[in-house]
Amino acid sequence: MRKSSINKSQFGFYFVVPYFITFLIFGLTPIIYSLYLSFMKWDGFSDPVFVGLANYTRLLQDTFFLKSIGNTLIIWVLSIVPQLILALILAMILNEKFIRGKHFFRAVFYFPNIVTPVTLGVLFSLMFDWQTGSVNKLLMGIGLIDDPVNWFNSPWLARLIVAGVIMWQYFGFNMLVFIAGLQSIPHELYEAAEVDGASRWDIAIKITLPLLKPVLLFTFITSIIGGLQLFDAPLMLGNGPDNSTLTMVMYLYQTAFKNFDYSYGAAIAYAIFVIILIFSLISIKFSKMNKVEQ
Amino acid sequence: MKKWLSILFAAVLILSLFAGCSNSEKSTSSKDKKSDNKTAQKVEGKLTIWTFFGQVKDMAAEFEKKYPDAKVEVKIFPGDQYQTKLLNVLQSGKGVPDIFDLERGYIDKFINSKYVVNLSDMGAEDLVKDYVPYVQALGRDAKGDVRAISDHSSPGGFWYIKENAKKYLGTDNPDEISAMVDSYDKIIELGKKVNKESNGKVHLISHFGDIYNIEAYNTKPWVKDGKLTIDPAWKENYKVQQEIFNNDVDAKLEFFSAGWGNAINDGSVVLTAMPAWASFMVDNKDDKAKDKFGVAATPKGFYMGGTYRSIYEKSENKDLAYKFIEFIAGKEWQQHNLEATGNMPGLLTVYKDNLETFKSPMFGDQNILKPYYETVKDIPGLKPDKYGEEVLSKWRKVAGQGIKDKDDINNVIEKFKKEVKNTFPELNVD
Amino acid sequence: MKANNSIVETGLAGNNGKTKKTINVKKSLAKFAVYFFLILVAFTCLLPFYSMMVTSSHANSDIARKLLLVPGREFVENYKRLIDTVPIWRGFANTIFITVSSTVLSLYFSALAGYGFSKYNYKGKNILFMAVLGTMMIPGQLGIIGFFKLMDTFNMLNTYWPIILPSISNAFGIFFMKQMCDSSIPTEILESGRIDGCGELKIFHRLVLPLLMPSLATLGIFSFIGKWNDFLTPMIILFDNELQPLPVMIAMVKSQFSTDFGAMYVGIVISVIPILIFFSIVSKKIISGVTAGALKG
Repeated sequence: MRKSSINKSQFGFYFVVPYFITFLIFGLTPIIYSLYLSFMKWDGFSDPVFVGLANYTRLLQDTFFLKSIGNTLIIWVLSIVPQLILALILAMILNEKFIRGKHFFRAVFYFPNIVTPVTLGVLFSLMFDWQTGSVNKLLMGIGLIDDPVNWFNSPWLARLIVAGVIMWQYFGFNMLVFIAGLQSIPHELYEAAEVDGASRWDIAIKITLPLLKPVLLFTFITSIIGGLQLFDAPLMLGNGPDNSTLTMVMYLYQTAFKNFDYSYGAAIAYAIFVIILIFSLISIKFSKMNKVEQ
Repeated sequence: MKKWLSILFAAVLILSLFAGCSNSEKSTSSKDKKSDNKTAQKVEGKLTIWTFFGQVKDMAAEFEKKYPDAKVEVKIFPGDQYQTKLLNVLQSGKGVPDIFDLERGYIDKFINSKYVVNLSDMGAEDLVKDYVPYVQALGRDAKGDVRAISDHSSPGGFWYIKENAKKYLGTDNPDEISAMVDSYDKIIELGKKVNKESNGKVHLISHFGDIYNIEAYNTKPWVKDGKLTIDPAWKENYKVQQEIFNNDVDAKLEFFSAGWGNAINDGSVVLTAMPAWASFMVDNKDDKAKDKFGVAATPKGFYMGGTYRSIYEKSENKDLAYKFIEFIAGKEWQQHNLEATGNMPGLLTVYKDNLETFKSPMFGDQNILKPYYETVKDIPGLKPDKYGEEVLSKWRKVAGQGIKDKDDINNVIEKFKKEVKNTFPELNVD
Repeated sequence: MKANNSIVETGLAGNNGKTKKTINVKKSLAKFAVYFFLILVAFTCLLPFYSMMVTSSHANSDIARKLLLVPGREFVENYKRLIDTVPIWRGFANTIFITVSSTVLSLYFSALAGYGFSKYNYKGKNILFMAVLGTMMIPGQLGIIGFFKLMDTFNMLNTYWPIILPSISNAFGIFFMKQMCDSSIPTEILESGRIDGCGELKIFHRLVLPLLMPSLATLGIFSFIGKWNDFLTPMIILFDNELQPLPVMIAMVKSQFSTDFGAMYVGIVISVIPILIFFSIVSKKIISGVTAGALKG
């Protein structure tokens, strides 16, 4: 050994440098620049003018932004709750040994997850179009309804559809996560329970669920960070009646890149950041509590 | 040795990061040099045009036919991203086309910016002096100078399938039909009758929203001196629209929705209010729409949309670009365009020349320029402002929702004011 | 499997004291219900795709009026109208180019940095690692407006650089690869490499990367899917239609063909079918990758 490994330590530093350089250029600088813009008035047609906190005071009175926060949270809850329940049930079924064609089912359930959200948004907006969409035609065909339902005319129906699309896209992914969690539960526990004569139902309720609780909670809480950034699919489905499906990031996009109010858009971006930060802190606290419990 | 390697490695990494930037910086540094505008006798050179509208290709082809030494490259950007893209290149000043198309909906922002040439200085007043007043006015900036010119006008009328009109209205004569629907009251009464006689299968008009389109430019501007003004006509229109909606006078098919497009062809709507340029919505495969349609006048004249053309302030080909604008503002092109696509001209003189002669296969023997000419020349000419279109679209949205929800007009106005205030905090809405 | 069932059977039999036959009936009923449920969910997963394919092959007037259950004959017509204005195959190629190059960059540099954090000790390492983790909290949209303006000053608007290069800084990737290096790269191997006189970078390339291959495959799937769906950045950075990736083209299709459902459906079909084929070939790998990623992440 000519040199000990300690002398090589500077290489470790070189190896992480590309990350930091790239982040500095493409990550941090734009973020700081956005901050600067948020103190300006700039519409893209003229030069930026300093306006101080005006964008932020405007934001505080902006009922549409408030509404978009509410919409985002509502859509998130509407999609995450049924999504996790469905994913959990499917994961437990597919974890049973007697089921055949496990791989087929997993693949089919997971498939919607890899289709581009924009594509899904367009597809569903077409299917739920109240005059020409296939959903109404189908429902009328089976005789469930007599007249076409104008899906995007009621705020709650519209939100349900957006939430439905998101649930439909992600339940397969969460199912795989749960299957992974199930597989990490030691076999001895099941075997012991079976020896004790517990039924399958008992095992599911008394052993599997409690052991899976941390994974469940973790998925629930971490999903909010993604949920708060909902954008592609809702954008394709539109603002909904009375702006009921306008999400925060959609509002940011429309303000900055449709109305060209770049500076106000930058302020909205920072507000979204603060909201996500708050939820992230809460989620970190939760997962720590969880660890303590265990 | 190894140290040397590591430094090299880091250097390569950093260099590779910047390679992209330094290369492109070099290539653009020469761009700002302005070529001096020596007026060439021969019309030659190369133009780039950006548009969202496919038919501009034909325009370029005709121009090249007339000036064989000129070359025109047309780039078409379909979809609603066009506006953003255009603003992006204008801001960065790189890859900007010589000429760009602007839609009526957002023209004001662009022609009041520093990016477009003042066409009045280049002699454009001459080009537009015989124009339809409203078309001419829309290309003017806040000071009144011409900054953009369109080659067409976009008047609208009630399109109808003749057979259908005979069945439900008892006639397919455009003048008689125009007289039957020259007021909203008449439309509502007639609509009730059509609805009843067809057992609710057929409706007189497509959507109560047609009233917005008709009234849009027949009402007072929304914003005056920084204050939001709601023309009292909108209150009355709201009542009319409620009547239309509640009595199923309309088929509840929103303008340019798929169902709407379908209804034009299958006749489930008797009178479709649409602009002259929308003829491509008609299914004319194997000439099946030949002699099928008629056009009648709406209660008030209206227009919809319009494509305007501006020259980039820093273009190196301003003279050639102006030649192009001159070409599309001229009789020759507008006559050709009318014959080829049925798009209505911008020049009143072209209207007059064709009034008694122009016929379109789709409309059989009808002199379709007549109903359009009568209405289009009287549409008030208003300069575009920053607010008009967006405030109108908010009104459409809020009032439209109110009608569906059977909401009180005063509530609607309150909600509307809130939306306007939110997007334009600088406006006085009370 | 057999043993398991029999245990439950005896359990049930012991509790209820019924004959074996009724239990079998009950059991197969329950099995049937379970399969029915699975098939029902699978059906709802596939139905929209079936409907999309069927609808894409009909004329607009039929789409507007009828419930369509079997394929029609208008696909080529619809396809022609779509291709006239939207170069969708070009978008496909663009997406593949962007996704592959981003994924390669992301994987290489994530592995490199993860390795750098895992196997070396230097001043400030822990602070730097915490900084990496901290950047994971920043939502992607925060800098988007500044990003646009900055790329403008770099002359990078309308190029792929701003879309591909940021892949180098993949915080989740670094975190994931550090965990992998911690657990699956024995330090002895590195030492032996050093004794043989290999440079540090060579050690990384020759010894570490091969060992990391399985984890790289897992991470690669995540990066690939994420990049494949990237929508906002290309939409604001790229102007040329020719350069747009697939998701932006699909959005374009929607705003362009507002009344032409046939063409829109064809666009959607084109964006989905290749993924469907790709997925059905490598679905085992993808799913095990996601499962593995879920366990570690």
